[in-house]
Parts: sequence; structure tokens; C-alpha cells
Amino acid sequence: MDPSNSPGEFDYLFKLLLIGDSGVGKSSLLLSFTSDTFDDLSPTIGVDFKIKMLTLGGKRLKLAIWDTAGQERFRTLTSSYYRGAQGIILVYDVTRRETFTNLSDVWAKEVDLYSTNQDCIKMLVGNKVDKESERVVTKKEGIAFAREYGCLFIECSAKTRVNVQQCFEELVLKILDTPSLLAEGSTGVRRNIFKQKPPTDASTSSCC
Amino acid sequence: MTTSELNSTQRYAAGALMGLALRQAQIHQTRPLGFPPNNDEEEESHHHHDDLHVLPEELSQLWTHPNYGLVRPIFRFLDIDPIAWTGLEETALSSSAKHHIGAFLRLLSEENCDKDSSEKIEQEFALSKAVDAATMSLLDSTSCSTHITQGSQEVQHERDQRSSSSNMQEASEADGTTPSVLKTTNPNIFHDREGKLLIQEKDGEDKSESRSNSNSDKPLQEAKLVCYQRKVAVLFDLLSACLADTPEDEKKASRIRKGYDARHRIALRLLATWLDVNWIKMEAMEIMVACSAMAAAKGDESHTENVEAEKGKWSKWKRGGIIGAAALTGGTLLAVTGGLAAPAIAAGFSALAPTLGALVPVIGASGFAAAASAAGSVAGSVAVAASFGAAGASLSGSKMARRIGGIDEFEFKPIGENHKNGRLAVGIFVSGFVFEEEDFVKPWAGKESNLERYALQWESKNLITVSTAIQDWLTSSLTMELMKQGAMLTVLNTLVAALAWPSTLLAATNFIDSKWSIAVDRSDKAGQLLADCLLKGLQGNRPVTLIGFSLGARAIFKCLQHLAKAGDRGGLVERVVLLGAPVSIKDEHWEDARKTVAGRFVNVYSTNDWILGVAFRASLLTQGLAGIQPVTTSGVENVDVTELVEGHSSYLWTTQQILDRLELDTYYPIFLNA
Repeated sequence: MDPSNSPGEFDYLFKLLLIGDSGVGKSSLLLSFTSDTFDDLSPTIGVDFKIKMLTLGGKRLKLAIWDTAGQERFRTLTSSYYRGAQGIILVYDVTRRETFTNLSDVWAKEVDLYSTNQDCIKMLVGNKVDKESERVVTKKEGIAFAREYGCLFIECSAKTRVNVQQCFEELVLKILDTPSLLAEGSTGVRRNIFKQKPPTDASTSSCC
Repeated sequence: MTTSELNSTQRYAAGALMGLALRQAQIHQTRPLGFPPNNDEEEESHHHHDDLHVLPEELSQLWTHPNYGLVRPIFRFLDIDPIAWTGLEETALSSSAKHHIGAFLRLLSEENCDKDSSEKIEQEFALSKAVDAATMSLLDSTSCSTHITQGSQEVQHERDQRSSSSNMQEASEADGTTPSVLKTTNPNIFHDREGKLLIQEKDGEDKSESRSNSNSDKPLQEAKLVCYQRKVAVLFDLLSACLADTPEDEKKASRIRKGYDARHRIALRLLATWLDVNWIKMEAMEIMVACSAMAAAKGDESHTENVEAEKGKWSKWKRGGIIGAAALTGGTLLAVTGGLAAPAIAAGFSALAPTLGALVPVIGASGFAAAASAAGSVAGSVAVAASFGAAGASLSGSKMARRIGGIDEFEFKPIGENHKNGRLAVGIFVSGFVFEEEDFVKPWAGKESNLERYALQWESKNLITVSTAIQDWLTSSLTMELMKQGAMLTVLNTLVAALAWPSTLLAATNFIDSKWSIAVDRSDKAGQLLADCLLKGLQGNRPVTLIGFSLGARAIFKCLQHLAKAGDRGGLVERVVLLGAPVSIKDEHWEDARKTVAGRFVNVYSTNDWILGVAFRASLLTQGLAGIQPVTTSGVENVDVTELVEGHSSYLWTTQQILDRLELDTYYPIFLNA
């Protein structure tokens, strides 16, 4: 209805994905990022989806963030959501070691198996640092894993919102630095699905 | 909590698949399944660009949009937590749907780990057995009717020969090619057809399998992981969800009509294809649900024992509109007392006497009511949708008021035996080139199917006049002379090439023109009337398949245009077949018409149909004509039947044969354009 709400409302659209064990705070992290609130959330059913508009590095960005259920029973489901993601956030709980070990045992393997995007940016996030007294996974361990796995790393708290904004922004900045991902997220790729015309404005998409 | 045979994860997956199926079905409206991917798609996969390339202004046109009220009521019925809804709706929009479908199928295939899982598995088993029994009984009844129709076909054939050969014989002698082909091949084709029918019934499953293998992405590998019982349970639950009606729907939802939405039926059809379940099983389930609902409505009288416990719920149902079932059944509720479907269920019961205890809660009326009320605990009372129509409404019962000037006759005549038997889909057949009144019914009488069928008899006086005029013209000495010279066969080519007409021919056709233009005008009005009927829900708010030839096809096309104008987007009409349609291609809004049809839209044409060319030449020269040429609108299937139809009146006796070839119950086009 708002004329400015046209396709030109943003420059890039990126798809991000949150994965990790049940209860590590993926949904809380997302809620904290998208609406600056913190709540006791019930376990996610299947997948959830949120949109966040963001201006970063002079670019207007639309982030489509998929939040997946960590529960075992939905494990098979999440596999199809890796496709086309430009960024994947692997979340663990610094107060529960098994959520950290499962990253290498389960989640990293899933990413390798299902991600269709060679250049896709991965980010390791240790959540719940507000519970410093209960911490069992050290920051060092996190950094070591991130280095080994070749991904970004940050520790944050969805509850106190420490580092939440930074977590997403760093990831997105890295995506903006990666030409192939940038090309995918370019609005030039988008098109009218009903008319099915090829994008008329080819100049905006730096197609590889 | 609910009586569903599925646990919450499975219901979640079922809801997701329904959403995906709806979205995919809408995509297939303009890009039918099986068509080679266009450049767009290649580019898409190249970029792995997943979703959200839907422009904001298009969102509201998607079938999955809450406005249509197609998806959320299903989620609610399935008792899926509302916090999961947006995720599912977004997933449905994803362009990499195939992968999601596979993932959700895998989710479905997983074992029950609930504590009451053994009970659920038992229920699943009982349900699938009941469906099988109902299917068997359906197949039996269809093959019975096949025998009946064979007789009528012969009669018809004789008559056809009488009407066709009287005109054509002389010409064929001279010409020696086409008409004689007709005479010799026709009986063969009938034999073929019968043979083919038998094979179809026997090897139904093999056939669908081999065909779907040749089709790029259906059925999915993952479907094999899901056990048959689970598939049936999923489809049954989704069907129930489609029919159930949640009165406290979103207030904003623009969906005014209740009932069985054509888009739902198409989505179920696609889903059945994904799951590799034969469509006839789905039809059996439809009848089971309808009969359960009708039984529930009848309630107190027939099921005294069961009723006591459920009385409260049933009275709720009645309030909610189940009483409308009386309309469906033409005033008598016979779901339990007679008809075809009730025995079908009875057969299912008796075959399963030992497990009856498990079965009754699943498919019995009480079970259905219980399922409905379980969903109702989320969203208030649930009534079975007014699938069953507003009270007093039924096609055969209604004589249309002549609200549109100039229409003298407009009446639905039931065909076949399966009326008032809980069929949840309606077929309306419209003839348009007739010599006598029975030509309105005869061409369709033999087409056995599980649709509740009606023939539309309209404007017989005008149609007979124009048809006879054309016939007279055919037999006129001038035309005969032309035929003998073989000229007629080249006339159409001349027409299409927009060359000059033989002036002798032009002069001869003048006297047809006035009659023809009156008939065309009437067909336009009849189309509007038909649209009004559908919009009013006289078909009992059930999905309609519209099939018509000649001016009847034109009436159907006009009906679709009126539906489009009324804002319908595929909720009423499930499938359309136009045979030899005198509709111009360029100056009509085919795209709009296409959008009002949820499923397949077939244009059957014959490049030899020179009667059509002559009668509608004005349009043909400038705009193209659907009856003799393919329509280029995306999503319209074009089927060339030139080999079967050598003249316009051929449609009178070849429709059945053509329709059999189209295999309308298959989700995707049978004939793909190269």
C-alpha cells in the first residue's frame, strides 16, 4: 500500500539459518535480535521464520532468518532448510557441554551434507554467557573449534542481549564481503513469480 | 486429546505438506507439472536463490495467504500450534519445495514414539482397511456402470452413423479419405476403449507408477519410506480438515463460501501423487467422510446407541449447517439407508468385524464428530463444511429463474446412478451442437466416473436450429459439390492462412450467420447463468469439473470469465475441458479464465474442424480460434484430436473417447506439447 514499499525497499536479501541442540536458545537469540525482547519460549515446532530489516555498510538489507527446532524428532526436517542459505549460525549453550560436542558430532556434519552453498558463511555462537557461574565450555574451546571448522565465533546472551546484534551484524558483514553470496542476495535476482519474466534489470545482478 | 491416528509431529508434517501442495498446485496453474523447465528456473537453481522472491503485492494472491482461508483452518483442525504456522506458510512459498516435501515425507515416515502409539497404529491399520474396502466397492460399481454404458454406446453409435453418414456418405465416396476413416475406425476405437478400460482397472497402480517415473519429480523417493497406512491416515485427516469448517475463522478472511474448495481438492490430488496413492482411494475417502457426516446429521434415528454419547456434539453439528446435507441428498438422507456409498462402508465394517472396535471411532460418524470437536476445542465449534449446500439448493432441483434476458431454457439433468450418494465432486457437462434434445445428455452418458454428473440443457431451440442449419448447408448441393472436389478439406487451411475465401462459399454461409450469432449470444448468457449458479453454491459447494463442446464450451469459457470478474480464484472450478470451442484466442481473457480453474484446463481442438472455421470465421481470421488451434496461454493444455474429429458434429459421439484419453483424474497433463 505504501508506494515506497516497492521492490526497491532493500538492496540485498539474505537467508540465514539457526541450528543447534534443543534448548540452547536459538529462538531466544532470534527474538532478542528481531524484537529486543526475552521470553521463556516453548520448544520450536518444526521451523519458525522471522524477517529483519537492517542497514549495514550503507546497504539496506532484508534478512530472512529461519529458526529450526533442535529436537531430535524434527532433525530430518531441518535438512531441507540449509539450501540456499548464505549464513548459518550454529548455536550452543555454554552451560551444557553436550550442546557443544554435538556441534562437531552432529551439526557441522549436517551443514557439510546439506548446505548447497560452498561459500556460505558459518558462525559459531556460545549462548547464555549471562550464566557465567554455570559455564562449562570456555571461550578458548569455542575459539579453537571455530578456527578448526573455519567459521566466525562470538559469545553472547539472548537474555541480556550482550553481543546479539554484533553476532548477526558480523555474519552479514562477512556475507557482504563475499562476492558470490552478494550476487545471490541481489534484488536483481528477484522477479515477479506470476509473470515469470526474466529480471529486466540485469545491471543490478552481477551474475557470475 | 484428538482421535486422530497421527501424532503431533505427523500432523505437523501433514499440515506442511498440504501447504506445499497448495502452493505448488497454484504454480502448476500456469506451469503444469511435467513441462520442461524454462530458463527462469535454470537460473533460479543456478543461484540457489531459495525463497522470498515473491513481491509484496503478490503475496495476497497466493493460495497460502491467510486471506483465502485455505491453509490456516487446516492447521487449526490438525491442532498444529499457532506459533508454527508462519514457519509452515513461509516454507510453502519456498521455491525449493521439492526438498521440503522430501523432508516432510521423511518426518511422516518416522515411527510413532508416543505412549499410545500402538493404539494409533491399530487405528491407522483399521482406517486403511476401511478405505480399501470402500475403494473395492467403488470399483465394483464403476465396472457395473461400464456394462450399462456399453449398451448405450452402441445405440449412440448407430444413431451417430445415421446422422453422420447421411450427410457424409456421398461426400466420402467421392473424397475417399477422411469420412471413410471415420466409419472404419470408430468401432475399433470403441473396442480399444473397452479393452483399455479393463486394463486400467486391473493395473491401475502399475500404470500410475510407470507414468510417474517418467515424470521428472513425482512421486518422490521419500514417499516409499512412508507406509501405506500412514499415507491413508494423512490423506484422510487432511480431507477431513478441508471439509470441516471452523466458524470462528479469521475475521479478516475474505472467503465467504464454505464447503469443499476446488483448490483443496487439487492440492489433495497433488499430495496423493506425491504419496503415490491412487486417486480412487481418495474418492473412497471422500465418500466415507461425506457419509459419516450425513450419518452424523441423521443421528438419533439410525445410530441410537452411539448417539447417546455424542448427542451434544451432533446437535452442535446440526446447528453448524450439517442439516444442509438434506440439500445434497435432494430431501432424503439416505447415507445410512441406501445408495451406493453406505454399503461401501458397511462392507468395510463387516470385513473387519474383529477390529470393528478400533474402526468405529476412526471412521464412524461419532469418530468424525469427535475429531471435529477436538479441533473445535481450539477454535470453537466445528461443523462439517456446508459442502452440502444451503438448504434447498441442488442442481437438479433448481429451475433457474430467467433473470438474464433472452435465456429461455437452462436446466440441469442428472446423468448416471450415483447421485445423492455422498459424492464430493460434481461434473457439469454442456453440449453445444445438438440435433435433438437427447444430444444434451447422450454424449456424456457413458463417461463413468465418480463425479456426481449433470448435463446442462440450455437453449435447445436455438442450438437445434443452428446445428440443423449447418447440417442443411452441409447437405446442400453446393457444399456437396465442393466436397466432391475435396475443396472443404483445404478450406480450413485457407482460413488459417487468412487468404481470400472462395466467394461461392461465402455466399452460401450467409444464411447460417444470423442463427449462429444468436446462438453465440445465448451461449454467452448461459455462461453467466452458469457462473451465477456456481457462485450461489447450487452445486452444494463442491468442486466442479466443467466439460463442454462447441457452443457449450463457449458457455463454459464465458462462465469462467464471469467467475473471474466476481473475484473467484479457483475455489469453485476444479477442472475444465473445452472441446471444439468457438472462442477467439487473442481478444478473450484466457489468463483470467485460467486462474479460476484450480486444476487442469484442457483445450481440445481439431485442425480439420472446418464447420467451426466457417461459422466463426470472423474471429478466426483475425484472432485465432480455440477449437481449431492451440491456445498459447500458459497453463492451458492443448490436445490435438484431429485424427478423431473430422467435423464439428464428431464431438457428439467422440467426446467419451477423447475424455478417456485425457485421463482427467491424473494430476498432470497426459499430453505434453513437444
